[in-house]
Amino acid sequence: MTLRTVMLALGGLVLVPLAGGLLAGLDRMLSARLQSRLGPPLFQPFYDVGKLWSKVIAPASQWQGLFVRWALVASLASAVLLAAGADLLLCFFVQAASASFVALGAFCGNSPYGKLGAQRELFQLLAYEPVLLVGILCLAKAAGGFDAAGIMAAHGPLLFRLPLVAPGLIFALLVKLRKSPFDLAASHHMHQELVRGVYTDYAGRDFALLELAHWTDVGVTLCICSLVWATGPLAMVATGLAFLLAVVLIDNVTARLTWRAMLGRAAPLALALAAANLVWLYLE
Amino acid sequence: MLKRFLKTAQVRSPWLLHFDCGSCNGCDIETLACLTPVYDVERFGIINVGNPRHADVLVVTGTVNPRNAVVLKNLYDQMPTPKLVIAIGACGCSGGVFREAPNVLGGIDTIIPVDVYVPGCPAKPEAIMDAVVTGLAKLKGILEASA
Repeated sequence: MTLRTVMLALGGLVLVPLAGGLLAGLDRMLSARLQSRLGPPLFQPFYDVGKLWSKVIAPASQWQGLFVRWALVASLASAVLLAAGADLLLCFFVQAASASFVALGAFCGNSPYGKLGAQRELFQLLAYEPVLLVGILCLAKAAGGFDAAGIMAAHGPLLFRLPLVAPGLIFALLVKLRKSPFDLAASHHMHQELVRGVYTDYAGRDFALLELAHWTDVGVTLCICSLVWATGPLAMVATGLAFLLAVVLIDNVTARLTWRAMLGRAAPLALALAAANLVWLYLE
Repeated sequence: MLKRFLKTAQVRSPWLLHFDCGSCNGCDIETLACLTPVYDVERFGIINVGNPRHADVLVVTGTVNPRNAVVLKNLYDQMPTPKLVIAIGACGCSGGVFREAPNVLGGIDTIIPVDVYVPGCPAKPEAIMDAVVTGLAKLKGILEASA
């Protein structure tokens, strides 16, 4: 392990959650503008997390605090792995563990909304994980290895060899960023039938840590998506922002679907497209 | 510096929980109007949440009766501290024209402590937003006094 790898890992540990927070603020500003509103300031998500951190409230279950901290550790570990240029598959599986911890914590609470949200979180995992996995396999096949550093060093943009993977990545992003039409587990927009879904029982500091874990997940998933055009750091940032813009636009123009539509129609379609791209790459 | 940021954050991120305590819906419509693009309270960091465990400000409309008093107290108790309560409209402030009714206990303050009263029948969205700002100024004073 070189000093450069350590520096990159530390950078990932600090910068990925911060970037995730800024992206959350940008997302809220863009959504507000699309709805003809002024919207909150860019740093509003940071104020929200600071506020939640200052709140005093008893946890709904003694186990929730533990699961929240494990979820945060797993999310940060995936960010560190990605920034250090490690194996993309390892980063992917560690991030999946984080989502599982969030669901497990919600199962420990008393709220029926929280438990229903946790079940939906597991359905979401079942829907987007295979799609993202095949997307990563395609990236690795096109770039010649699973190392994130190797994929970033690939010659030219990979998107032209992965046209059918892009819809799958957008599907995974919609689910991961908790956006319509697949905002099923967390009910991001208020006054929905699940109150706040998987997050219902989390409050105060636990909820603040969970938000940090979510920011990190958003940052890591967007980084994975931006690998389709990794010709340089600026190109990666631009690609990540393009994916975010697409997701925000879809969120604002679509109504929420049911979990059956996600698991029965959208996920198989996205998976079939990504699998077809993988077969094409092997036949090339 | 971190302490100062945390105090600022508490004032700049008020999440509202709206409870209709037996209102005629007039004040509820005006409260929800604050969320529309015309007033857009999200520019102050205000979000309408449906979960008392995530709420900082309890916005209550309507009169209290023996049945909804239990729910009102339950919601208030579930909110994390520090918390604010805003009573909206004549009914929420004092019971309004229904105060003499046999099933009405009175305004919100008969059950839980109220920080800001918003008069009106119905209360105007501008007055409701002003009440939140007044409540936050009160919270800021409390936070600074506790430092």
